[in-house]
Amino acid sequence: MRRTSLLATALMLAGGAIIAAPAHAQEVGVTDTTVRIGQLGALTGPGYLYGKIIMDGAEIIYQEVNKAGGIHGRKIETVRQDDRCDPATAIAAAKKLIFDDKVFMIHGGGCTNASVGAFPEIKAANIPWVIFASVGDSLTSPPSPHIFTTALSASIESVSQLEFALQKGAKRIAVISQRDAWGRSRYQPLMEAFKQKGITPVADEEIIGEANDATPQALRLQAAKADAVLMVIYPKAAAAFLRDAHKIGYKPIAIGQTALGDLPVLTKQVGVPEAMSNMFAISHVRYMPEDAEMAQWRKLFSEYFPRETMSLYHILGIASAKVVVEVLQRAGKDLTRESFRAQMAKLTNFDTGIYPGPITCTEQDHQCHKSAAWVALVDGKIKTVAATTVGR
Amino acid sequence: MLGYLITSGLALGALYALVAIGIVIVFKSTGAINLAQGELFMLGGFFAFMFHVQMGYPYIPSLLLAVVASFFIGALTYQFAFRPLMKAGLVSVLLASIAVSFLLKGVARNIWGGVGDYIPFPPMITASAINLNGFIVLPQQLVAFGASIALMLLIVAYFKFTRSGKWLQAIADNVKAATLVGIRVGALHRLAFALGAASAGAAAVLMAPLTLLYPDIGFNLFIKAFAAAVLGGLHSIAGAVIGGLIVGLVEALVAGYVGSKFQDVSAFVVIMLVLVFIPRGIMGGKAMRKV
Amino acid sequence: MKWLISNKGFLCILFAVFGVLPTFANSYLLYVSNLALLFIILAIGLNLLIGYAGQLAFANAAMFGIGAYAAALLQVRLGVPYWVALPAGGVIASLIGTLMAWPALRLSGIYLALATLAFAQFTLWLFMHWEDLTFGATGFAVPRLSFAPLPVTPEQGIYFLSWIITIGLTLFAWNLVRSRVGRAFVAMRDNEVAAASLGINLLRYKVFAFALSGFYAGIAGGLHCGLLNYVAPESFDLFQMVIHKSMVIVGGVGSVVGSVIGAALLVATLELLREFKSLQEIAFGAILLIFILFMPLGLVSFLKRVLPGWEEEVHLPDARTAPAVEAADELRPVGERSP
Repeated sequence: MRRTSLLATALMLAGGAIIAAPAHAQEVGVTDTTVRIGQLGALTGPGYLYGKIIMDGAEIIYQEVNKAGGIHGRKIETVRQDDRCDPATAIAAAKKLIFDDKVFMIHGGGCTNASVGAFPEIKAANIPWVIFASVGDSLTSPPSPHIFTTALSASIESVSQLEFALQKGAKRIAVISQRDAWGRSRYQPLMEAFKQKGITPVADEEIIGEANDATPQALRLQAAKADAVLMVIYPKAAAAFLRDAHKIGYKPIAIGQTALGDLPVLTKQVGVPEAMSNMFAISHVRYMPEDAEMAQWRKLFSEYFPRETMSLYHILGIASAKVVVEVLQRAGKDLTRESFRAQMAKLTNFDTGIYPGPITCTEQDHQCHKSAAWVALVDGKIKTVAATTVGR
Repeated sequence: MLGYLITSGLALGALYALVAIGIVIVFKSTGAINLAQGELFMLGGFFAFMFHVQMGYPYIPSLLLAVVASFFIGALTYQFAFRPLMKAGLVSVLLASIAVSFLLKGVARNIWGGVGDYIPFPPMITASAINLNGFIVLPQQLVAFGASIALMLLIVAYFKFTRSGKWLQAIADNVKAATLVGIRVGALHRLAFALGAASAGAAAVLMAPLTLLYPDIGFNLFIKAFAAAVLGGLHSIAGAVIGGLIVGLVEALVAGYVGSKFQDVSAFVVIMLVLVFIPRGIMGGKAMRKV
Repeated sequence: MKWLISNKGFLCILFAVFGVLPTFANSYLLYVSNLALLFIILAIGLNLLIGYAGQLAFANAAMFGIGAYAAALLQVRLGVPYWVALPAGGVIASLIGTLMAWPALRLSGIYLALATLAFAQFTLWLFMHWEDLTFGATGFAVPRLSFAPLPVTPEQGIYFLSWIITIGLTLFAWNLVRSRVGRAFVAMRDNEVAAASLGINLLRYKVFAFALSGFYAGIAGGLHCGLLNYVAPESFDLFQMVIHKSMVIVGGVGSVVGSVIGAALLVATLELLREFKSLQEIAFGAILLIFILFMPLGLVSFLKRVLPGWEEEVHLPDARTAPAVEAADELRPVGERSP
């Protein structure tokens, strides 16, 4: 399914169009035998990790559901549209899904700015949108009737980072962040959290996500005598920072967020295992790709993608698609956008087996994923050391 | 603090210098800028990853194979993308090289994009930091630094002492005269693009343990390396190395003393100033425009 | 009938099609067509600078961004109405464009390209870091336009506004390149020294070319913020620059009609390539390469060959037919540059 040939896609679309045509007043994108889901996100460019790769994970669930006969007799069809991580293109992609592909719902949203760009369009169309990766709070707070997220929102992560530092007894807390859209949507709520607690960060350093070297940043943080560093950065910059901090003999409590959740992989990226001794991160999943508990998924994954390696991004897709499938199931035989919305808003304590905590949405709160599991490496094995659940 | 900033600036600069060398090799001999030079670096790294990690070949042969493979990719891109355009003008070659960079990125993303986000590559020697007289350095950075100097000397020697190197120099100086004395200019242009790609491949295998591998690594590296090459005068291999080291040092010192938010932009500010005030680059060299 | 296959006829037909499009297009097609109109403005503006005046600048995406940020910030920060903010954005981009003429007086070819590229990266950095002014990397929303009392939806309103402005700017460029100014640009492009000896004031014309190109990009930026109701740095990065360059070269360097065709074609191609999903990058690279390889002088020179009615102006630089004057560096065969 993954690399459907162009011809097959065309046939599928044509077939879909013919089937979708019949007279009975059915919801857009739904027939007696199919339900069409639009996958929105970056398929090309650097954002593909938060788009294509997550979609690949979701595809496993959708294909497995189809193998088992579908949901209420309906097979899931997916249509992908590329937002190239750019707002203008994201609007085109959303419009294409809504008006041309006529999908029932959208499952996607990677790069935050692209999602923010497409947001008014999707909101106005009253089409269900389950966000799988975009963390910007403005997308789901205040809630729009049809828009939900299974991603840990930026503010939840940022508040957790600060709280964790305080729990660890840190007295002089500093921040190192990248200030692209991803970083800033986390940095801002983090600074608000600082203000609320009446704390001033002792240093506030910046680095680019693709940095090859972080010695200046490490030296400045060391000079500021920071005993804990909150890291709002990508794995590459984090690897450079941990390595260079170790190099200059600086050993703060390093506190990451979900982008740094795969500690075993991060260790390899750092290249210096000792540099990881005081590193903690939030994981948005309960198990890492290489854990024994994930064996069944690894097996399935290798059937669908024999040449690739299952990563956290794939797992996120699996977990998010599980939520979508569950809600489609609950929405029943007479599937409409309204029934999907209503069931999604009622989803309570749904355990995906993958996210650290249960998924709960309410009419007032569409940020359905709230549990941040703190992980660290203990004797080279990843261990959950604490869990913070943030209420609102 | 200054000591660490200087060493890390030099290590960063060695990375830019290694990529800049490839840009200069191509420009020096053909007058073209290959904007896909960063993607050739990326591909070289992934080749090494494929041979060593995915196919399990031993370390050194894998690295050599990666350089050889890069060489052929360079020759191939010349043959199919640049050769017909060498007479059409710089703008066409620039755009063609952009097209090639999209192609290479797309191919790499579809082959290796599903393996991980920033793919680690095992270092040549032990990963752990070593203590040199109270000063801690990473062995891989030393290796990379030494290797970039060695690579530079190798290429300078190539241009000075080998026949094809001298010919490359000759066509750079006067393509018409070179044609008249029977030098096959097309073949030499191909060689220049191939050598440029091979040096990008060599840079990648040296640097991959530090830079990590991902399909989009090329652009950011290219733009800093391009700045370095222009700083060095675009015609000189040694100039490219010095230019690279300067860009690296500026980034480290600005980040350390002025503020880390200025790190990424400092190179561009320097390049704007240099171009406006010393347009021939620090290694001087030839007039960039004779009228 | 002959008129129909001429370049003038083609322009009229194309803009007529754009004009009636809202009557049948769905929201997606309307939006993409609107983007195409914006890109036509961008391509023409860039072509005036590269193709006519011969300045190999790489800052068009930054100018586009400056126009968008200026128009949007004037509305959001100062409450200026869109009707004022839009032209003001154009003027601001134009003024900043003028600044760039300064390095262009000393640099040409690849060196000018790098200087302007560095300027573009610096601008992008400012969009992301001057948070007190620009709201930083996360961008900001701009109020939705209202076209009351006109009987159009906001979507149709911004579309028709873009349509009218695009036609106006196309006509302006069309006439400009056939005027004294256009000829001065071309003379300057082909040989600066010769141009100067003919009494052409290089400083004045370079500044004018940069200012004009900046204005076009700035107006397109203002329309972009009106279309998206959202401004963020990603919209103005180097990928955009690549798109603008591709439109100019695919259409034809030194041809206004070429830029119109190139822009419309490239937007259409990017949308059609959606079917390639994650292979889009490869397909885009391949198509771009094929265009450059088989039509190195652009689509218009091809059309000129096959359509007898196509009267292209003499502004196409052609290395093969114009050896009498020494071409500027960037337009000379790369292998043959004097050291």
